[in-house]
Amino acid sequence: MNPEIVLIKGTFAFYSVAALLALCYLFSKQERLSLWMLRLMGIGLALHLASFGFRLHAFWQIPENRFFLPINSFFGALSYLALAVAAVFFVIEREYRLGILGAFVLPWTAIGVGAAVIFADPAIAGLVPALQSYWINIHPMVLMTAYAAFGNAFGVGLALLIQEHQIKSRKPSELCYRLPSIEDLDNLNYKIIVAAFPTLTVGILMGGVWAYNAWGRFWGWDAKETWSLITALIYAGYLHMRFVKGLRGRKAVYVSMVGFASVLFTFVGVNFLSELHGYLSNE
Amino acid sequence: MNEMIPVELVGFSHRSASSRARERLAALGVESVYARLRSVGFEEAVVLATCNRFEVYLGRPESSPGARRALSELEDMAGSELAEQAYLFSGPRAVRHLFEVAAGLDSLVVGETEIMGQVKGAYEAARALGMTGRTSNVLFQRALFVGKKVRNDTKISAGQTSVASVAVQLAHRIFGDLSQSSVLILGAGAMAELTATHLSSSKVMRLSIANRTWERAVELAGRFSARPLRWEDFPSALVEADIVVASTGSPEPIVTRAMVVELMRRRSGRSLFLIDIAMPRDVEESVHGLEHVYLYRLEDLEGIVADNLRNRGGEVERARALVHEKAAEFCAGDRREFAGQAAELRHSEAL
Repeated sequence: MNPEIVLIKGTFAFYSVAALLALCYLFSKQERLSLWMLRLMGIGLALHLASFGFRLHAFWQIPENRFFLPINSFFGALSYLALAVAAVFFVIEREYRLGILGAFVLPWTAIGVGAAVIFADPAIAGLVPALQSYWINIHPMVLMTAYAAFGNAFGVGLALLIQEHQIKSRKPSELCYRLPSIEDLDNLNYKIIVAAFPTLTVGILMGGVWAYNAWGRFWGWDAKETWSLITALIYAGYLHMRFVKGLRGRKAVYVSMVGFASVLFTFVGVNFLSELHGYLSNE
Repeated sequence: MNEMIPVELVGFSHRSASSRARERLAALGVESVYARLRSVGFEEAVVLATCNRFEVYLGRPESSPGARRALSELEDMAGSELAEQAYLFSGPRAVRHLFEVAAGLDSLVVGETEIMGQVKGAYEAARALGMTGRTSNVLFQRALFVGKKVRNDTKISAGQTSVASVAVQLAHRIFGDLSQSSVLILGAGAMAELTATHLSSSKVMRLSIANRTWERAVELAGRFSARPLRWEDFPSALVEADIVVASTGSPEPIVTRAMVVELMRRRSGRSLFLIDIAMPRDVEESVHGLEHVYLYRLEDLEGIVADNLRNRGGEVERARALVHEKAAEFCAGDRREFAGQAAELRHSEAL
């Protein structure tokens, strides 16, 4: 059996159990749950990297693919996205020690890898000439790292909505005392988006440069291009409202969640519309 | 054969003794109590003296004068009849009592954690005086372990049970660490003071106190190194306050919806936590509907306190069961241990 597939299935299992533990930790004070969540995530991440290593090895067996990253298929992209979500989570965890956020973020890693394992075709194909460019190692990676950060911000936003509701209700449950404060969640949500937005913008501009080199035009209103622009505009709107209008809390989170919905649509939905960015058709 | 754990106890607590009796005992001084006990033949004793209890745990009663003798020595030292206010336990009952004390189950505020340190301190003091032995070493170390376990495994120490501490806990859920938050207290009554005590122990950025009587504001402010405010200045101070505690005797609301709408416009989305513990109300109820405004009234806070107490109620039963289980385990385990020790002793005597 293909070791890459065995490893990615193992990754799926570890991510899923870690996400489950994170959800249990939300309702139980057992610190062990949080500890094991991090451990299992760590093991999952290691398996994930190993699986990626096997994929890279197989991918480079095809001469024209050599030294390019295997991200030209839906499988590769989903897998990388889940990896990035997990990695960004670890960065935030290191900084803020908010194990409780795992419940809102880690399910995305399990869903990402699960979707890759269940729905996507792991077959490896040669890169079409248009994709044989160093840009393939940069442009999609930068964008998907931004997406992963937005995924984490979405989790933080969800926690904020719950906390806001808890305190407005005047009957806070145990959950209220487990979650970080409203102001802390609001600031964290903002910080992540402030970091992710320029990343997204740079990723889109890189795509423009690549498009100019490959097809002789910077922008072509391809569905993916259009939707990524919409995503960027929504998050720009979030930052504008926050900076200029002082919009914070619940309503700000709604805007950022619309942004994340747009991210998901750009990443998944557009593949059925776009001709130039179709992972499924692998063209 | 009815072997007992060789422990006896004579004690006085807030449950059994008047505060006058407890004061008299506390005034004796722990060291002179040890000196007296030693002089009449006690070899192993631990004196636990806190403001709510005075207890003497005695080890190896078979070779000591016994708990009744200890009681009469205490009476003699205190110069008054105390027997009616004392409890005397021996064997497993004494073990169970010590475990309950260490777990905070016998405290005035059930589940308080200070008692652990006091039990530990008492044991260490006795050891330093050479008044501990095999029994008291094992017993007290186990008591501290059980006290810790009960607090870990049950929720007796969780959930705030006073209105002021619940309010502060909620403030933390809104603002996180309060070092960047400024607090405005309106009114200078007993409730205002209590809340100020709790908030100032959370190290807020700034504490301001406004009162209709300027002298009272100054007096209260002085106690918390707070800033006193003239009553007519409080509306302008509202804008920079994150937490407002209102407890004035005003017959009409002093913080109106119109005021809050106006000041929220200038706070650029930062949350505002209003605590209204006045009767009749100081803050117009409808402000709770505004974005980023959280108004808690006295009955909301009391509701949370009642919930916490109820939760704690069930936990107290669980904690007690756990303590009894651990005490029985200890007694069963040690009965064998002490039987072994006794056999060893006979063996060495035979030699």
